[in-house]
Amino acid sequence: MGQGTLSRRTLVAGMAVAGTLGGIGRPRPARAAETIRIGFPTPVTGPFGAEAKDQIRSAELAVKQFNEAGGLDGRMAELLVRDDKLNPGEAATRTLELIEKDKAHFIVGALSSAVQLSVNEITRSRGVLYVSISQSDTINEVKDFSRTTFHEALNPHMTTAAVAKHAFRKGTKVAYLVADYAYGHEMLRGFKRAAAAIGAETAGEILHPFGAADYSTFMPRLRSMRPDILCICNFGRDQANSIKQANDFGMKKVARIVVPVLLHNQRLAAGPDAFEGVVGASNYYWRLEETVPSAKAFNDAFRAAYGGAVPTDYGAYGYAAVRSLLMAVKAAGGTDTDKVVTSLETLRYDVAKGPEHYRACDHQAVQSVLVTESKKKSEMANEADLFTILEIEPGSEAALRSCDELGHRA
Amino acid sequence: MQPLDQTVLATAPPVPRRSPLAGGALSRWRAPLSILALLALPFLLPSQALAVNVLIYGLYAVGYNLLYGYTGLLSFGHAAFFGTGAYVTGIAIGAYGLHPLAAMGLAVAAAGALALALGAVSIRSRGIYFAMVTLALAQLVYYAALQASAWTGGENGLRGFTVARIGLGRLAVDILNPLTKYFVVLAFVGAALAMISRILASPFGAVIEAIRESETRARACGFDVERTKLLAFVLSGLFCGLAGALFAIHLSIVPLDSLAYHTSGMAVVMTLVGGAGTFFGPFVGALAVLVLEDALSLWTPHWQLALGTVFILFVLFLPRGLWGTALARIGAMRGRP
Repeated sequence: MGQGTLSRRTLVAGMAVAGTLGGIGRPRPARAAETIRIGFPTPVTGPFGAEAKDQIRSAELAVKQFNEAGGLDGRMAELLVRDDKLNPGEAATRTLELIEKDKAHFIVGALSSAVQLSVNEITRSRGVLYVSISQSDTINEVKDFSRTTFHEALNPHMTTAAVAKHAFRKGTKVAYLVADYAYGHEMLRGFKRAAAAIGAETAGEILHPFGAADYSTFMPRLRSMRPDILCICNFGRDQANSIKQANDFGMKKVARIVVPVLLHNQRLAAGPDAFEGVVGASNYYWRLEETVPSAKAFNDAFRAAYGGAVPTDYGAYGYAAVRSLLMAVKAAGGTDTDKVVTSLETLRYDVAKGPEHYRACDHQAVQSVLVTESKKKSEMANEADLFTILEIEPGSEAALRSCDELGHRA
Repeated sequence: MQPLDQTVLATAPPVPRRSPLAGGALSRWRAPLSILALLALPFLLPSQALAVNVLIYGLYAVGYNLLYGYTGLLSFGHAAFFGTGAYVTGIAIGAYGLHPLAAMGLAVAAAGALALALGAVSIRSRGIYFAMVTLALAQLVYYAALQASAWTGGENGLRGFTVARIGLGRLAVDILNPLTKYFVVLAFVGAALAMISRILASPFGAVIEAIRESETRARACGFDVERTKLLAFVLSGLFCGLAGALFAIHLSIVPLDSLAYHTSGMAVVMTLVGGAGTFFGPFVGALAVLVLEDALSLWTPHWQLALGTVFILFVLFLPRGLWGTALARIGAMRGRP
């Protein structure tokens, strides 16, 4: 009996070995059955780990839905998640691996201005389609653009314009606290541009070093500017630290605090008291489901897949990017980069937040921008009830910097 | 013993007094053997991009080892030379349209000039003070690059200089092909290894080891210790600059992180894991660190915890590093009657 089991095992193993050996050197099986591989570099480790996790979960949901709907005539999709460690060099290496070794058909991902630009540099020199899901103004500009570069995320120009339109009035005095690096400067530029159009005045601006922990020396100076609005242009831990310290210095009593981006996970990390009354913009907030049917569908699918949790803003980027890409693949009838680029350029999609499309000249996703305000603790209905949606700025190409300004020639 | 010497001892590399294989076949043929071993690398590692990284970081660590392992100076600022090599290559190609080979030559020269300047300032301090001074100087270079964003791209990093083909005229090869790229990089790394081997075998090589063993005695023997140290510092900077130039060609971007202090720390860690003061050790260290990082981060998001544990175990149980320990074992076996 024991002998019989053993020999059967040996037989099976032998067959497997023979099969593998037989496979070597033979042409690949019919291409139609080949999996659609989407490389997904994202900072699983590092300060944006929570956002990255949401990106991955949402992107995986989009892949799952595509496969459950039958894929591309039976061709399934697969998400290859890689940790870019929030390091551009690491991201470039991972992207090379995804293209050269894993033979990824498309790349989606990244969560930092520098990282997405490095991924883009690798993909565009190798003619691979890349959908970036991280905020940046630079990637729209002609220097970094290529036919295979798409940008699903918002950019600082869009978010600052929406926040300024809501918060600034003619004669409003605005003080700026700005992180001294590329992203901070992009946000300041956006706000000042919007302020000039509205007629708001600059009370003063202070640059702080990127990653500063102590803002106590800046607060008295900002207070002495007597602003109506304190505009804090930084991100992540800098944002949480500076808002907390602005609270300690009583800034909220004299001015309204506005930020270019108000994110779900960062508000969760900092707590309701620090962020109470802070106004900012985002691409997505789950309570959009009350007015937008596609948001409801996205939330319900996400809740069903992940034990009742709601998706976040960066999650929605991951979902929209992968889902729209797979729609384009379906429309193109295959994974040929050229055809998918063409079909993505003309695609009109509404997968999570209302209608979206990629602008022809710079492949920036034209989409709505939400202006939200952080809720008081006592007004929160549940733990995920973080914000009040003040305004939904509808998507329009007029809200973007013009193609000419970005250097794209018609 | 004087207290000053104790401070120096605290940062001295854990190397054997005299290589047990000095004069042996393994030592005489160390450069060709190293290159031979590296020829097999792209076929053994999970990806060619990783193999190229091992070559580049290996060369970086070997260059660093010249100063740390052989001269006994613990620098915490070698990212300055690596990053400068990378940035100068990128800027020369992207902004001035220089031939990639000319750009790399310029980059190595720039890294050498920077090493001369930083070395002149720092070489007179010792031990932990030397480490701190080099760290501070490298941070200066980092912030200069951050501020000069018109040249360097600042926080976003330098882009727009992708090199698709490298070489001269008809002999140019397509380095978008990963395997070709590996062998092109290996050609540079191999040449550098041969040069380093020659330097170490020269009287100069003996003098820097003498300085490592006892600075006072080397001085008493009549060697100009300061100038020798400075020369070792510059040579080390040149090789690290070459590693940086290759890095820029490999990834077609230069991130600001290439100048950051973790990049300096990387050289120290790789050298220690592989074996300070051994010829091939830093390569083994680069291989071990990068492959572990690659494998662990695919396996768990808590890879840093696992990697940290491995490093602690290394320091506790293999103070001579992987290669250093292996060499000592071979030496002990040979030494038996």
